[in-house]
Amino acid sequence: MTATVDPVWGTDSPRWRRRVAADRYVSYLLPLLFLAVLYPLLDLIYWIGAEALPTLSWRTLTTNPSGFGGGLLAPITGTLYLIAISTALAGTVGIVAGMYTAEFASPRVASLGRLGGNLLAGVPAIVIGYFGYFALVLYTHWGMTLVAGGITLSIFMIPYIYRTADLAFGSVPADQREAAFGMGASRGQYLRRVAWPIAFPRILTGIFIAMAIGLGETAPLLFTAGWNFVPATGLSSQTSYLTGLIWLYYSAPTDFGTELALAFQAAFLLIVIVIALNVIVQLIAERYRRRLRGLFR
Amino acid sequence: MTTSPTDGSTIPPASEASSEPVPPPARRPPTGRKRAGAVLTAPLSWLPLLFLAAIVAVLLYASDFHNFGLSFWGPNWFPDPLDPASASYGVLVFAVGTVLTSALAVFLAGVLSIGLAISLVMFLPGPLARVLALFVDLLAGIPSVVYGIWGYVVLAPYFANDLEPALQSHLGFLPGLGGSSVEIAGGTGLLLAVLVLTLMVVPLTTALVRDSLRSVPRALEESGLALGATRWEVVRRVHLRYARRGIFSAVLLGLGRALGETVAVFMVIGNQVRFPPTLYSGTSTIATLLVGQFDSAFIYPDLLRALVEIALVLFLITLAVNVIGRRFLTDGGLGRIALEAGPEKAAS
Repeated sequence: MTATVDPVWGTDSPRWRRRVAADRYVSYLLPLLFLAVLYPLLDLIYWIGAEALPTLSWRTLTTNPSGFGGGLLAPITGTLYLIAISTALAGTVGIVAGMYTAEFASPRVASLGRLGGNLLAGVPAIVIGYFGYFALVLYTHWGMTLVAGGITLSIFMIPYIYRTADLAFGSVPADQREAAFGMGASRGQYLRRVAWPIAFPRILTGIFIAMAIGLGETAPLLFTAGWNFVPATGLSSQTSYLTGLIWLYYSAPTDFGTELALAFQAAFLLIVIVIALNVIVQLIAERYRRRLRGLFR
Repeated sequence: MTTSPTDGSTIPPASEASSEPVPPPARRPPTGRKRAGAVLTAPLSWLPLLFLAAIVAVLLYASDFHNFGLSFWGPNWFPDPLDPASASYGVLVFAVGTVLTSALAVFLAGVLSIGLAISLVMFLPGPLARVLALFVDLLAGIPSVVYGIWGYVVLAPYFANDLEPALQSHLGFLPGLGGSSVEIAGGTGLLLAVLVLTLMVVPLTTALVRDSLRSVPRALEESGLALGATRWEVVRRVHLRYARRGIFSAVLLGLGRALGETVAVFMVIGNQVRFPPTLYSGTSTIATLLVGQFDSAFIYPDLLRALVEIALVLFLITLAVNVIGRRFLTDGGLGRIALEAGPEKAAS
């Protein structure tokens, strides 16, 4: 006699077959939703490339924009300057603040700091742009300048670096920490010699992500950085930037001048830089994971 | 014997120990240097909160505490530089535009990202899931002007010539999808804005939903499977139920992102000051008003004050949405950064 299979719950019942079939359909159909996300992404990259590449040349990168076209030299240098200023500022603030929150602060103060960082990350870019205009352009009497744009952009980038620095310092393995203090290290020695080398790669990923986000921002710069057809000559000169060029030229007519092509070239450069930064972040994160696994053994 | 050989601290006699539990060891080892380091680094960690306060203060100051009244929420937006007396600054049109675009976009993004997150966590093999997650992340990295120019130059003509006429003739009986073909105009409008906005919100919500699905205790998942439930049943009955707070917070944080999105929406929404009669119609949002009108407001103080007040209101609303969203978030993630495997995960 073979064992009888329960007619309702057993593995041969119609009910069971229905449940397994539902599971199978869902597991095949649900991942198809990725098409709804991947198709637009690839379409976007394809079109930006198709519009930008035919006319992209060395001349584009080395001449300044002019009335009806020209090149991208001034916006490229402007974006680099802005990112340099804002990364320097936001990096310093973010790393030091993250170190304090993870290492020194009482739990109450730490959670307040984290809340502040998270909420700052949620402030609309245009509101930060307004704030930058009044606080750094109008009330300081600086006018629109490279430095005002850089500072405004850094407000935008601080939360990302702060958060990764906090996480990175906070996740130094307890063994390492206790070993350092057990050997009589001071807190400064611990932070410099033990925590920093472990935390640094992760902080670097935060900095790169913040740079990618800063590169792509338009709204905070529109009313703070001004505009310029030649590369900025100093902190107090106005500057152009890649996203601003797209904003200025996106609705240009297709049959007149090369402004629209220039906007697409700027978009193409931005996408290339963003993808490159993402790849770097992944490489660092992968190495970091492997190293931490080693530390835990 | 009252001293422990390992740490040298005194263990109180048994009679006292039983009445009072031994306090847990201090998290931080006491060293004399703490004060100097802490004092030097503390101010910078207050900076984010300080910036939030400064934003409120500066915007309040710039608005001259001028116009907060019921007319502010009226339907008439009629800035008149020549005759300030007859000018009117009702923002209702823009508020409706903001609510419509963000609500629709967040709904679509929420549904989509729950599906994506379930596939990533449950149904896709590890390496494939990792690659797909990278692509979704990339979506978050694309600058908003790039979405804008793609939407304006590539998508808008397609919407105007193919998609929207087809929708209108086949689904015209549905509310919002019918109307006159004049509404389609150049393809820019509510529908295009909603779709672009959805793409921009999806990476954030997917990352957050995925994190909250991953936070489901393994024991719960496995006991579901051990009881004979299929994976889909476990996802529905265990994961989605356990993670519902996290999913709710993901949707709210996505809403916070959508409310404030400016540049891309401006480029594809058509920028007409009116209530949109159909989904194809051009309209405006608060954020597009803020970015579109600021230049002309430089020489026109009344308009400037009105815009600043609207900016302040937008700021307070997004702040409230974010605060509520974070309350429901268990691990306080920051979207993309929360994706990165922490050392806890790396260790296991």
